[in-house]
Amino acid sequence: MSDRIKNPARDRMEDSTLFILMPLLVVNLGLVFWGFGYRHMHPSGIWAYIFAMAFALLGVAFIVIFGLYLKEEQDEFERAVWVQSLLWGIGATLTVVTLWGSFAEYALVKGLKMLFVFPLFMLITVVARLALKLRYR
Amino acid sequence: MKNRLKVLRAERDWSQGDLAQRLEVSRQSVNAIETGKFDPSLPLAFKLARLFGLRIEEIFEDSGQ
Repeated sequence: MSDRIKNPARDRMEDSTLFILMPLLVVNLGLVFWGFGYRHMHPSGIWAYIFAMAFALLGVAFIVIFGLYLKEEQDEFERAVWVQSLLWGIGATLTVVTLWGSFAEYALVKGLKMLFVFPLFMLITVVARLALKLRYR
Repeated sequence: MKNRLKVLRAERDWSQGDLAQRLEVSRQSVNAIETGKFDPSLPLAFKLARLFGLRIEEIFEDSGQ
């Protein structure tokens, strides 16, 4: 029998990743390059809002897609591993941000941009997921 | 929690993948349960019991006792 078990929740998440997150990521990367080129133009008015929304939309879409996946996932072990990874992500991100905030406040370290908090959370979550998968292998 | 999944599987000549297909979970789930690293919920434990035609306590052993 195949090792790949039919999993509609995961299939839907993979489809959403392919058809929603990936195009958004491409748009974001395009905006980053475009933004670097036009950095000195200081986009204002509606363009500033479009820029901001385009960047934020990727993170928001990820949260919605992933939330739906966790709700629909029928494999309780897979869900448990993801929940553990997310808890590691939340805990470690809060620790880093709190420490960094204290250093920025009292030790003249440059503050962490809020824009980087979510990518940091995602990075830690993915690393935690890989570590947990190795543990349960 | 200790369990007899590996023995029960071997008696039927099922691989972890075979059992996973029958339970509609991933092979990693079966492996995690079998090695005692993950305790299944009651619904999954009942599903296992039905699949093997046994009672839950004939498959899982309460290590606290």
